[in-house]
Parts: sequence; C-alpha cells; structure tokens
Amino acid sequence: MDALLAWRWRRREEKGRIWPFLSIFCLILVLHLVAILLFAKGFLLTRTELPYYSNCSDISQSPCVQPPHSLPLSNKNKKPWMDKLQVLHKLASQEGTSARIFKAIADPPTTSLQRLKGLTTGGLPTFIDVGNSFGAPAILEDNLISQLAQNGKRVVMMGDDTWLQLFPHHFNECYPFPSFNVKDLHTVDNGCTKHLFPSLYEGDWDVLIAHFLGVKVIDVLESQSGPGGLHENTLLLVMGDHGQTINGDHGGGNAEELDFAVTVSALLGVPFPFGSIGCVNLELYALAAGTWNSEGSIRGICPNNSSTGEWMQNYVNVLCINSWQVKRYIDVYSTSSVIGFSNEDLLHLSALYAQAAEMNLMLHKNESCHTSLPDLRRQIDAYFSFLASVAELARSKWTQFNVKTMGIGFGMMLISLLVHLLAIRRLDKLCGVYFAFCAKSGISFGLTFSCLIVAIRACSFLSNSYILEEGKVAIFLAATTGMLNLRYSIIKKKMLLEAVVFLLLISILRFSIELGLSKQAVSSVLLDICPSWMHAVAEGYPFWMHIAELVPVLALIILAFMLQKSIARSSCSIVLKNVITGTIFSYLLIAAYWTLETKLLNPPLLLQGIRRNFIAQIIYFIGCVQLLSLAFLRFIGEEKNSNWEESVIIKIMVMLSVWSSTVILLSGRLGPLVALASVLGGWCIRRLKCLEQDSKNGNLQTLCLYSSPVTQWSLLAVCLFFCTGHWFEEFILVPQAILLTIDTFGFSHILPIFGLPFLVVRQLPFGQGEQRKRFFFMQLSQVYLMYGLITATSVTFTILCVTIQRRHLMVWGLFAPKFVFEVVGLILTDVLIILALLYYLDRVEDAPLDQ
Amino acid sequence: MEKKTKTEGSDAVPSLSPWKAFTVHLICGLGLAMALWVAHKVYSIDLISDPSYTLRLIWYWKAVGRGTLGLLVGAIVNVLGAVALGAPVGVNYFLKTVNWSLVMSLFTVVPAASVYGSSWMDWQRIFAHTKPSGSIDYMICLPAHGAVIGAWFGAWPMPLDWERPWQEWPICVSYGAIAGYLIAMVASFGFTLLRREVPHVKGE
Repeated sequence: MDALLAWRWRRREEKGRIWPFLSIFCLILVLHLVAILLFAKGFLLTRTELPYYSNCSDISQSPCVQPPHSLPLSNKNKKPWMDKLQVLHKLASQEGTSARIFKAIADPPTTSLQRLKGLTTGGLPTFIDVGNSFGAPAILEDNLISQLAQNGKRVVMMGDDTWLQLFPHHFNECYPFPSFNVKDLHTVDNGCTKHLFPSLYEGDWDVLIAHFLGVKVIDVLESQSGPGGLHENTLLLVMGDHGQTINGDHGGGNAEELDFAVTVSALLGVPFPFGSIGCVNLELYALAAGTWNSEGSIRGICPNNSSTGEWMQNYVNVLCINSWQVKRYIDVYSTSSVIGFSNEDLLHLSALYAQAAEMNLMLHKNESCHTSLPDLRRQIDAYFSFLASVAELARSKWTQFNVKTMGIGFGMMLISLLVHLLAIRRLDKLCGVYFAFCAKSGISFGLTFSCLIVAIRACSFLSNSYILEEGKVAIFLAATTGMLNLRYSIIKKKMLLEAVVFLLLISILRFSIELGLSKQAVSSVLLDICPSWMHAVAEGYPFWMHIAELVPVLALIILAFMLQKSIARSSCSIVLKNVITGTIFSYLLIAAYWTLETKLLNPPLLLQGIRRNFIAQIIYFIGCVQLLSLAFLRFIGEEKNSNWEESVIIKIMVMLSVWSSTVILLSGRLGPLVALASVLGGWCIRRLKCLEQDSKNGNLQTLCLYSSPVTQWSLLAVCLFFCTGHWFEEFILVPQAILLTIDTFGFSHILPIFGLPFLVVRQLPFGQGEQRKRFFFMQLSQVYLMYGLITATSVTFTILCVTIQRRHLMVWGLFAPKFVFEVVGLILTDVLIILALLYYLDRVEDAPLDQ
Repeated sequence: MEKKTKTEGSDAVPSLSPWKAFTVHLICGLGLAMALWVAHKVYSIDLISDPSYTLRLIWYWKAVGRGTLGLLVGAIVNVLGAVALGAPVGVNYFLKTVNWSLVMSLFTVVPAASVYGSSWMDWQRIFAHTKPSGSIDYMICLPAHGAVIGAWFGAWPMPLDWERPWQEWPICVSYGAIAGYLIAMVASFGFTLLRREVPHVKGE
C-alpha cells in the first residue's frame, strides 16, 4: 500500500506538477469556505435598517379613520420583572381598571442596549443591523423617542446611560448615570430618585423615563400616584427591559415586547415608528382608554352607544392604522433589502391583510353608529391574525438561529479537520517510505504535548472569560512549552541560551500585552492590573518619554542593519538584493517619519502637513512594487542557483522583509520592537527544534519532529497579535480594508506564515540534491498542514462555542465578533498558505530538470 | 556565609578535577574561618572562651545558610517561572508573590537542596530526566513535580468571571500546589511501599 502510494507520488513528481501539494490546501480552503458560509447563514442574523420615518400626514394614505389624540401624560418606569414588586400586585388587585400586570418577553439579544432598541423601534434588533456602524450605537431608524421629539413632546430621561448612547439628541433633559459596574446598583438608582421627585412635582414634561436597576424605589412612588395626587391622570408603566432567569441573569425567550413601541405611540397619539412590527396591545389600550373614556364620553359621537362599542371602534381604527403601517414596512423592506422575505410568505401576508382591509371597508360602509360588537370583534381578530403572522415571520427571520444550517456548517468544519489529519498522516507515511525508513510510529512526548496544548487552547474558547483573556492564555501555554524546552535543553546540556532567551522573550511579550491593554483601558478595573510605574512613565519624566520615542527608531535601525548584513553575506540575484535594499530604505523612511513626529525636534508646521501621508504612501508604494517584482520573478523563473537551500532562505527573507515595512508602519511605535521580538522568537524556536531532532537521532518522524515547534510558532503568533495592542473587541469596519487587514493580521498571520519555512529549511542531516529538495517540500507542506490544523481546530471550537452559547447574554457583544474574527483569520491563513506554497514551491518544477 | 555553605554537599559527586576539589576545600576552609571570625568580632567569643556557644553558632549558621540558600534560589526560580506564565506583577502583589514563592520553594527546591546539596548530577536526574532511583529520590521528586503541576492547574480558574475571592493571584495557585503536593506525597509513599515489596517477591 505504502509502496503504491510512493510510486504514485513519484509518478506525479515526474510529471513535474506541484498539484498534489496544492490540491489538498485548495480542498481545505473550499471546505472551510463552505462550512463558514453555511454556519454564518444560520448564525449571523441580518436585518436591513430602513432610513424612513413616519409622519402624521402619512395617515391620509391609509384607508383608516384618524383616531382622536387626547391622552394625558405618561410616565414609564423600567424594572426587572420579579415577584418582589408587591406594590404592583396590590395596585393591580385593588384598582382593577387602572393597573394591570403584563408579561413582556424579550427576544434573544437580551442586553440593555439591544432591548431598548427593540422597545423603542418596535422591531427586532439583530447582530448585524446593516447600515448601522459598530462603533456608534445611536439608533438611526424611526423610533418612539424620535417620534415623540418630532411631535413636540418634552421627554425627560434619567438613569441608565445606555439611553443616551441610543438617543444622543432626543431628550430635553437627561440625568444619565453609568451602568457599567454590574455590582453597583445604587449609583444609578440613587441618582434617579434624587431627580425623579423634583421632576414629578414640576410636571413640565410629557414623557418621563426613569431607568432603574434596582427595584426598591417603587415603594416611594406609590404615594405619588394615588387618587387625588398630582398625577391622577398619568399613565405609569413599570416594566423590565429584559427578562430575568431564576439565577438573576439576563434571560431570553419569545416576545411580546414588540408591542410596546406601537402601543405607547397609539396612546400618546404620535405616529407609529416606521419599522415597528408590533401590534397595539388590547389590554394596555383598554387600560388607558379607561381614563380616556371617563372624560371623553361626553363628546362621544353616538351617545346611545355603549362605551365599550365606542372604545372598540376606536381600537379597530388604531389597529387599522397599525396594520397599514406594518404592511407598508414589510413591503418597503422586501423591495429595498438584499435579503428579503420569501415570496410565499409575502403572498400569505398580503392575503391576510386584504382580508382584514375588506372587512374594514364593509364595516365602514354601513356608516351607522350601531356597528354590532361581534363585527368589531371579528374585525379585531382579522387584524390580530395579520399582525401575529407578521411578527412570527419577522421573528423567524431575524431572531431565530437556523440550527440545521449551523449544524451542517459545523459538520463541514469537522470534515475539514479530518482531511487535515488524513493529509498529515499520508504525507508522514510518504516521507517515511520515500527514504525507506522503518515507519516507526512511536508517539513522542513532544507530539502528545503539543496536541494537549492545542486542545487546551481550543477548549479555552468555550468560555467568555478565557476569550477575553486570550492573550494571557496564549502566553501561559507558550511559557509552558518554553519551560519544557528548557528542561529538554538541560537534559541535552546544550541550547541552554536559546531556551532561556525564549522564556525571557515570552515574559517580555507578556508585559507588553498588559501595557497594550492598559493603554486602551477605559475602565478603572483594568487600571488596577497595570503596574503603577507605567503611570509614572506616562505622567511625568520627560526623560522616559524621550527614551520611549527613541527606542523604536533604534530597533528599526537594528532591523535594517540585520537585513543589510544578511544580503552582504549571501550571494543572491541582483533583483532580490534590490528588493531588500528597498525594504531597508523603507525602514529608514519610517525611522525618519517617527523622528520628525517627536516633540524633540519641533519641525515647522508646513512640513508637518505634507509629511503626514506622503511618507506612508511612499512606503506602501515601495511595498507594492516589491511584491509585484517578486511575483514577476516567480513567473518568469529564475536563474539556476547551485545552492538551492541558500536561495530558499533568501526567498523567505525577502518575502518577510517586503511585508515587514508596511506591517511595522501600520502597527506604530510598537512595530519594530515586536518585529525584533518575532525575529528572536523565530530564531529560538528554530534552534530549539534541533534539540528534538538530535534526540531522535536519524529517526525522522516529521510529525513528531515538527509538532512542537509549529505549535510554539502559532502560539507565538497569537502572542504577537495581542502584543501589538489589539484585542479582538476592536472590531471596526473601515473603508481601507486592506490596510486594516495588514495591520490586524500582519504580525499574527502574514509574517508567521511566510516565515514558517525557516523551520524546515537546512534541517536535513542527509540526502543529496533532488531527493533532499523533494523531501524538503514534503516537510514544508506538512508543516503548513499542521499550522492550518492548529488554526482550524481553534476556529472549530469557536464555532462550537458560539453554537452552544447562542442564547448567552454576551452573544452579540463577544462571541459573534470573536467568531467573525476567527473565521476571517482562518480564511486568510488558508489563502496565505496557498500563496506561500505557490511562492516557495516553484522550484520543485525546476528541480527534476536540474538533474 | 551562605555561599560557602553551598559546597558542603558536593561530596556526592563521584569524581572531581583537582582544581574543583581545591576550590571546594578552599571555600569550606574560608567558610570556617569566616564563621570563627564573625564569632570573634560580632559576638566577641571564640572556641576557648565559650566553646559550646561558638560551636553552636558555627553549625547553626552553616545549616541556616545552606537551607536559606536553597530556599532563596528556589523562590527566585519559582517567581521567574510564575512571571513568565503570567503572574501579576505590581506593588500590591509583591508580598503575596514573595511568600507564595517561598512556600513553593519549600515544596520543590528545599528538600532537594537539603539532600543533594549542589550535586548537579542529582539535580539533573531528579528534575530534568525525572528518573528517581531510590525511595529518597521518590520522596523528593514526586512531591516537587506534584506541587508544580498542581500550581499550573491551579492557575486555570483565575481568568474566569465568577468573582470569587479565591480567584485572586496566589490563592488558587497555592491551593493547586498544596493539593498536588499532597497527592504526590501519597503517590511517593505508594512507590516506596511497592519498591520495598518488589525485591521481596523476587527473593522468594
């Protein structure tokens, strides 16, 4: 069997094709793409926001009778809904007509922000509300608050500052309090109570919103709302913006919350928000109508009619407008949105609406006041069924995950992992057979341990805490591998220096991750973690500031010097030399740029204006030219070089240097330091790999040999990513997507992947010429396969985690961005691996011709 | 005082180059001289005036010095390891870290230091190769490894957002270390029993 495989392999080689290498990677890429697309289709709920607003004049287009606007002031309080609100129960039981308890159930994204959005727009907020930016959560859609503001109502807000994020300009007065700290319920509530009562007595508002976190405050309100008090005719709405599970967590479930916006709109007499798909709530409307009836019955159109009939007539009118508005929204949405509703659903909805409208027309035909109650009731039912099916459809489209598609996607990911494993296994066998080793499949400690490390890292994605601390987890694992390396080197009594340097490097990286975090930390929680001396550096001491500005420039110069030395020593083609010289020039430009930017020199203002983008553009331009020349070089084929290993090393170096200038520029001052660190780390890992090789002493099981270095390499890449001051919450879509990609993935994906061959090259103790080369490329593909496998494993676990936690409170805040980030990283890794193979493998075609 | 005591255990090394032997003897001699000098200068006594007290000073300080040396070196090694693995650094944590590292050192390095002294071969055999050969080796090697591995696992719950007081820096790591240490002690006891029984069975 093995011999057959080897024979087939050799035959393919003779055909001069590198296809078997690439086909595996292409297959994996396709598998990943399909899996991720399927999963994302089921998971990332998407809804298009429409920029339309409702107006009072819109109503003339509808076939409905305009209802009178005469409702008094309203005061709504938002409360978590728990049994502890005894006062409310009392109110509900005592004065049955003026108080009522409703059950509002919230849809999946149950964070305050999303819920408030849902409450006020009457729609269903989702992860990707297309048209909304990720940074600024302000609601751009039509909503209750903006309708209130448009119609001249004075809105006063107090409490949770989430309201201000959502509606920055809509309030007349506001008293926001930070709701950041979960444990601290009192800041918000005390602030609210302080402002609430003065406002209550002043009464210069139409709508007052008080968002409490705790529930005690309600007792005091009781005294104010009693009969004869100031606010006898005020509608008090006490409600929670999201449910609570028994544990007190934010809950989730199925909804009646949609109805809030539209009902309150109806009660206050403002137009329904454009994007609302709720239905005016019968009971709440009846409740409010109780107060309205008492004064409105005198001027009733039909004095003979019972108040119930009149009220129901009004309710039908309101529902009519409501349905008309929902229908309009659905129509506009399905024409303007990319991902609309299916045709059958739309037809069904149209039929329902037509039926209801027909009935309404019938109702109005007999113009008499004495419309029978059953007719009205039937009319109401017709509207209800229409609105209910709209809400049902919208919910299935916007808030319910398609578990089946997600499952298929996840299955595909698993299959891709299997393909990875099989490919690695096969290559391993081939390598063994090719050189007629006894394929002793002894599982080494290194292999087991690296599997364990990868598994731990993958499992850490199952918890949100570990995702938040991902950098630290990576450091922890990398340091563990480093310590084992140290142990190995003590056993072997060599490479002690490399092992120690690697550990030191990891420690330094660790501090720089914390520094990066503390720089961008807003909350005081993070400031505790960061050591106090960093503050000292940041605040005073101009000396340290100057040092901090000088060090990156120095590091850049060191890098440039290293490159210079490397090309001076080696004998490579002129083109490549020129490319490297270009990179050195770029480095110097960057150094000049930074030196000019410091406060040390204080350049004239004119220069500053020109310089800012100009130098950066030059560097990007140089990078592009270098890349193009490399690609060109690869296509025309190169002059034969007797020492191909040397030329491969040069190739790697050129590739890395070409990318590095842009990456360094984009990652700012930390860039050159991180670049130095990565060079050092790469060198250590490469050197330490020899340790393992020597211990095997000729028994070359590639799998065992490379597993731990590759794992270390990928861990180092993760550390470097967090080092450059990222953490994945920083998820912003900006137009310059390419630059952002390079900035984000430069140190964590692009450089490590192109640098990976360093591990393989010049590591073979035996073999000559073609054989050696062929073996090198096999090992190279295997190493890339391993790297891909490690990335794919973590992505698979991220997907699993997202699937499990899809009802979690943090799903849109944390897991979904993480998922998107990981998936982008995976696809990028696959593509980069293919590119790198294309770039490095071209010599395999030349090789047989050589011989 | 501490430095010279380090070499006391070096007699475990089987063969030494003459130069090394000379150094060892020199340091030992210098240590003794130093101890006598300190006794004379600081306490203003010598062997003649107060033999028992002087002798006690000598053995006491030599023993303490040697133990402390192991303790300190072990503590430093532990601190370095912990910092590399991500232990928080800062003024708030300084005392906690110092005390934790001393405890860890007592679990790991001090027993080995007391038994093997500065015999590098033995250290290497115990901590790098992990090939304990006798019951004493087991008694030193297993608890030390247990404490380290336990501490490593003990760090796992630290990032979780349970907000429990024991998730602070040295607490759960210490718990892990203690648990690992205890388990490993039981294991080493088991090994010792087994090793006693194996020759017995063979003899029969």
